[in-house]
Amino acid sequence: MDEQTNKREEADKQRKNREEIKEQRYKWVDALRQTCSQKETDGFVDSVYCGSGVDGAGLRCVVFFSGCNLRCPFCHNPETLYNKGERYTAEALFEKLRRYKPYFKRGGVTLSGGEPFLQKTFLLELVALLKAEGIHVIAETNGHICDREILASLDGVVVDIKNQESDDLAVYDSFFAACKEVGCKAEATNVLVPDKNDAKEKLIALASLAKRWGVGLRFLPFRKLCEQKYEELALEFPYGSFREAEDEDVKKAEKALSNR
Amino acid sequence: MAKREFKAGAYEEEINVRDFIQTNYTPYEGDGAFLAGPTARTKKMMEKVNALLKEESDKGGVLDIDTERVSSLLTYPAGYIDKENELIVGLQTDAPLKRGVNPFGGIRMARQSCEAYGYKLSDKVEEEFSYKTTHNDGVFHVYTDDMKALRHAGLLTGLPDAYGRGRIIGDYRRVALYGVDKLIEEKEKDRRAYGKRLMDEKNIRALEELFKQIDFLKKLKDMALLYGIDISAPAKNAKEAIQWTYFAYLAAIKEQNGAAMSLGRVSTFFDIYISRDLEDGTLTEEAAQELIDDFVIKLRITRQLRTPEYNDLFGGDPTWTTESIGGMGEDGRTLVTKTSFRILNTLYNLGPAPEPNLTVLWSEKLPEAFKVFCAKVSVDTDAIQYENDDLMRPIYGDDYGIACCVSAMKIGKQMQFFGARCNLAKLLLLTLNGGKDEKSGKQLGPVGESFTGKLDYKKVRAAYSKYIAWLCDLYVNTLNVIHYMHDKYAYEKIQMALHDTEVERFLACGVAGLSVAADSLSAIKYASVTPVYNDEGIIFDFKTEGDFPKYGNDDDRVDAIAVDLLKEFSDQLKKTPAYRGAKHTLSVLTITSNVVYGKKTGATPDGRAAGEPFAPGANPMHNRDVNGALASLNSVAKLPYEYCRDGISNTFSIVPSALGANEEERVQNLADMLDGYFGQGAHHLNVNVFDREKLVAAMEHPELYPNVTIRVSGYAVNFHKLSKAHQLEVLKRTYHGRV
Repeated sequence: MDEQTNKREEADKQRKNREEIKEQRYKWVDALRQTCSQKETDGFVDSVYCGSGVDGAGLRCVVFFSGCNLRCPFCHNPETLYNKGERYTAEALFEKLRRYKPYFKRGGVTLSGGEPFLQKTFLLELVALLKAEGIHVIAETNGHICDREILASLDGVVVDIKNQESDDLAVYDSFFAACKEVGCKAEATNVLVPDKNDAKEKLIALASLAKRWGVGLRFLPFRKLCEQKYEELALEFPYGSFREAEDEDVKKAEKALSNR
Repeated sequence: MAKREFKAGAYEEEINVRDFIQTNYTPYEGDGAFLAGPTARTKKMMEKVNALLKEESDKGGVLDIDTERVSSLLTYPAGYIDKENELIVGLQTDAPLKRGVNPFGGIRMARQSCEAYGYKLSDKVEEEFSYKTTHNDGVFHVYTDDMKALRHAGLLTGLPDAYGRGRIIGDYRRVALYGVDKLIEEKEKDRRAYGKRLMDEKNIRALEELFKQIDFLKKLKDMALLYGIDISAPAKNAKEAIQWTYFAYLAAIKEQNGAAMSLGRVSTFFDIYISRDLEDGTLTEEAAQELIDDFVIKLRITRQLRTPEYNDLFGGDPTWTTESIGGMGEDGRTLVTKTSFRILNTLYNLGPAPEPNLTVLWSEKLPEAFKVFCAKVSVDTDAIQYENDDLMRPIYGDDYGIACCVSAMKIGKQMQFFGARCNLAKLLLLTLNGGKDEKSGKQLGPVGESFTGKLDYKKVRAAYSKYIAWLCDLYVNTLNVIHYMHDKYAYEKIQMALHDTEVERFLACGVAGLSVAADSLSAIKYASVTPVYNDEGIIFDFKTEGDFPKYGNDDDRVDAIAVDLLKEFSDQLKKTPAYRGAKHTLSVLTITSNVVYGKKTGATPDGRAAGEPFAPGANPMHNRDVNGALASLNSVAKLPYEYCRDGISNTFSIVPSALGANEEERVQNLADMLDGYFGQGAHHLNVNVFDREKLVAAMEHPELYPNVTIRVSGYAVNFHKLSKAHQLEVLKRTYHGRV
């Protein structure tokens, strides 16, 4: 077989693979919704990254839950939306995370995703195990699933405010109210997309939301490092045409708020 | 005014530097706020040195060579950088950065080194050595065909059979504490005592060695007199303590060209003198720092003459002037003093540099302020390495030092016979080829089964064990030859004079390619591996189908393979007795020779292509550790120090933005990382905190980044002194970052 035929066949195979994945991935999201409602105790996790210094205080392990209830066009982890990931029992994942306890002096575990709040039963069981071991646990969430039981179990929560495509931030009011009610320390982040949500009115609305609930607000500069992931998933990156946010953009936004 | 007397102790009755330190030092638990910046004098001196360094680099790495004389203690007249302004004096030759020739290890290497840089070894030296047997001659008189074949194939690489073996630390502090006369007196006592024993081979050798030691102690005194300084009596103040100690070290590097000529553990010793001078007002903080700065400048311009082939193995012209800093005492007090800070502060005052090889002995119990200071220095300069004091102190006590990169030894009481390393990955290929070298096709080992078809893990592993046993025996025997001859023809006279007469010896063996071997075995066990043969019936590639666990992801399935391999190798080594009753030890360390090892090794079952570099030391293979920095560290932490007493080296690179959002976070997180890693019994960590982009830029525009210091396995180098192949290899390594 010559090299070219080889390459062609490989390309064909890849294309077929992608199509198959595409079909299946939508089925899986439905399945996840179902299993969650059936109080499935096993969880689906895309990956576990051990050793982040930028997902909360100290050194942390970050658990990327599979599945999300939103479809944000700037999503940085599209693989968690469409791939099923690996199936774990809470105990198995706990055992894996516990190995890093020696590093968690000021750190701990961050539940991220995807949307961790989607897998409630699994999450609660995992958090209970981690807390019993004295490990600090926070979650990164989109704030659209307002669950007091989950919030009460956590040491803290980071809510990413999505104001890129909508100005209606009411959902976050109820979420922060719930945090306050159960005593879960909340912080807010916002993905700053130049020419999308860096206009003054948007920034002011965002800041007053944070102020209303007394939560810290941090901008995450929009990045396109995830383009390759979209490519691998045979998906279009909806925000592919926007430019990345630079440090100056973040500084400008922060300044706009402080000068108010 | 007379100086305050030091507190009395056992050190007055016997040679015992540790006791002097323990009775007199002042632990320091505070932060670095007291530190002084460089003085105008220091800055001027550094300008001169930097100009010389630039000239050296422009000339292709060697500034000048004295081809007329053979390097030793009294060969050269006094040399200076800037006589009027130097505080600590003494150069290896008569001019800074001029290299001496040292043909005692082997005349051929000395000759080639000169030629490589456009010089010619003088006829005088050539003639003198035509009547002499060198260490290299001796070794080759005895090497068997098997030993030569192993060496040639690269199954054993970096053997110290053509240059000084190094990795011996003289207790240079003894000269400052006691003065040379007292040291001679003690050795004379030993000589008289040994003289009464049975004159068997062992005793005669000991007596001859004592003669040589005393002879060189006298030469040491004369060497100092060339600089107008009398070191026969103890040092009386900080400046003298540093100067006396430096002279002792200088004598060692004039006499020997060992690969690693390490310094030991001098900072806290110096601190005792500095504290006393500060107390009585004869020294200020600025002046104390200035002394340390000037001492470190001298250590930075230490040079040995090497061949380009040598540089292939040990890239970056290293000297491993390793200084061990900090740690805890056996009584629970920290051995961190203000001078531990002062010596680290040289990286700010003089700018980052690879030498001296500053090594922090990390303990969970180190003062928090010191931990944070070290982490900050790492984040700022990438120039320090860390080793686990809590792991080593129970074995070596609290006055040990690190020789080279990771080799611990009690200072003045233990020494090692450096044994380079064996290539584990190549040995696996030899196993699969029934004892044949996969590159040349030559039968190197005993004839065994050549594997065909899908590899069966149990069968392969059993055959591998047979070849490990075969190799370990040959390896120890080869080292025995080397060290017998080194003792005979290139004995370390001044360094051994600064040891107790009865020393404990280690035979320091090593392995390379651990991650490649472990991943290859994992592939055979968990995936499907089929060898592909060439026309001569030698395996040149593998068809590997399916996924398999890879070392570096905290996956016990493969990490256990690596652990077992080390235990087995260590146990096998011990079956062949070592020369002079040395204890066998093992290191997982490659220096930069992981590049050369890779070149000499065919394709492996883990998917590594023929010729591709190995991972350095105990590192996971490049970009295979995908579960994050902590998972990678956890895999390495599992390797048992108990079986690898000569050290387990791990080189770690992380991008600043992944370590923390700001400098304060990065520093704290790095300190937490070190606590977490060492808390699990890990041994060593090199830390690099920088963006890959910075290195790419440095490679493309060296002129814009002249002082990029990076840590490679066990030492630091100036990035620009690495060959292109080494630079590319560094760039290929895993950078722990997150997308």
